[in-house]
Amino acid sequence: MFRLNRAQAVLVMAVLVLWALMNLFPILVMLVSGFKSTVEIFTNPFGLPAKWTMINYVTAWNKANFALYFRNSVLVSAFSIAGIVLVSSMAAYILARYEFPGKRAVYLYILAGLVLPARLAVIPIFLLMRDLRLINSLAGLIVVYVATNISFSAFLLINFFRSIPMDLEDSARIDGAGSFRIYRQINLPLLRPALATVTIFNFINVWNDFFFPLIFLNAKDKRTIPLGIQTFFGEFAIQWDLLFAGLNIAIIPVIIFFLMLSRQFIAGLTEGAIR
Amino acid sequence: MAHRTLRSYGFLLMLVPALILYTAFVAYPFLSSLILSFYDWPGIGPKKWVGLANYANVLGGVMSKEFYPAFAHNILFFAVSWLESIIPSLILAFGLAAGLRGTNAFKAIFFIPNTLSIVIVGFLWGLLLNPQWGIINQTLKAVGLASLALPWLGNMNTALVTIVTVNSWRGMGFYILVLLAGIVGISREIPEAGRIDGASEAQIATRLMLPQLLPHIATLTLLKAIWSFSVFDIVFAMEGSQAGPAGATDILGTLFYRIAFGGLGASQIGMGLGASIVTLTFLIVFPVSILYVVVVERKPGKGA
Repeated sequence: MFRLNRAQAVLVMAVLVLWALMNLFPILVMLVSGFKSTVEIFTNPFGLPAKWTMINYVTAWNKANFALYFRNSVLVSAFSIAGIVLVSSMAAYILARYEFPGKRAVYLYILAGLVLPARLAVIPIFLLMRDLRLINSLAGLIVVYVATNISFSAFLLINFFRSIPMDLEDSARIDGAGSFRIYRQINLPLLRPALATVTIFNFINVWNDFFFPLIFLNAKDKRTIPLGIQTFFGEFAIQWDLLFAGLNIAIIPVIIFFLMLSRQFIAGLTEGAIR
Repeated sequence: MAHRTLRSYGFLLMLVPALILYTAFVAYPFLSSLILSFYDWPGIGPKKWVGLANYANVLGGVMSKEFYPAFAHNILFFAVSWLESIIPSLILAFGLAAGLRGTNAFKAIFFIPNTLSIVIVGFLWGLLLNPQWGIINQTLKAVGLASLALPWLGNMNTALVTIVTVNSWRGMGFYILVLLAGIVGISREIPEAGRIDGASEAQIATRLMLPQLLPHIATLTLLKAIWSFSVFDIVFAMEGSQAGPAGATDILGTLFYRIAFGGLGASQIGMGLGASIVTLTFLIVFPVSILYVVVVERKPGKGA
């Protein structure tokens, strides 16, 4: 887009590098601290550890319940994302491809959820969950995540569906394929980049969410990682080594997951998923 | 005939799971919350109809002493985070659009903070901002700005702005990428024409391309407004449900949490009272939301 001379390019590069460092430095401090002893965290907070140790992770995993929190977070995230992708891609497909009376009303109804922060309605959701005996239940939490992420995911996918040409679909229809088969065999494979975007967005939201677990989960054995960490601050505030190991157990999966899919994700985002 | 119509609309079945879940856990709760706000109800036992008493309490009664400051803090949250997010994001997005070496890596790096839980971000910055040994104050002292080495999160004047800044740090990547999408979407003829007219690259960016980005900036502004009025996690993570010091960081989200779900130091509790705070928040967010839907719908290629 721009034609920069050498001095300008150096200036732009300097700004980009500076911001990259401001992004990475706090995270690197956190990652490295997980390999230090408590004494070293304080005497040498920003340097590399004299001796790298894994013992913090072993203790956090075995003694500070992190194995359990991790398992809960993995279960909740995996089932929520599967549910969100399935439910919202089907809805998006119908809303992008089919004509029926009242379609625009349905579209706007679902679009409204894009901007209604679900947490504002948390009291009735809490009461509904209580009546359905879904408090302290990971399944209940999953249902809430699927429901509250439909709007955003469907909205992204509708835009992507519209960018897929209709030709393939038309010829499949002529060959007698039904709606669901066309959706599954023709549209889903083409939607891959879009599904990567939806998956990452939802994984970040669900994996990191603190609010709904705070409200819906009281039992210690049901805690997800963010809630576990919040309580960990209180219980282990003096054991900084364990705390940092716990933080790393929480952040490493999502960072790896993001970096693995980042190219598709960024392409999805910058090709105008959100405008 | 009826049978035939039913069959030809069979595809609608694929819409049903989304509609049921969305209605039960999103749409209905909003309505239900509105109704609840007219009742006095501790969460169990019979509900007592009180009409507008909860609103009178929040807007003019005992709770107003907590409501108005919290509301003002949300407005400040929005204003500060807008300035902190949009302007630097624009600069960085233009920087990425220059297409220098490593651009793809920068895009990924800039988004990494977005992938962290707000609870963790809050804790991490709590450490970096620690008054005694945090790196922020250490650095300020080292460069001779010891007078600026404040207890950022413990000082009533700086705590909220500090929290907003931490929140902006986490969220920038999203703003940068959306603005970059906008820049990439601008026709190449615009900078070309500018160059023929002798405009500098900086002028091309600010005078020719920036106006083209206004719709994107509008969208992000509306999203920022919606998020700023429903914010909760970052304050809860950094200052607890009390939103200290002395309520200096209290926002509608923490106020609501104390009232509806107890927590320490709630001056009054009740589901109905909490619901009235939510309804008032909703009254602020709703017009912005409508505006957002209109803006999104107006864009070419959108709309059902």
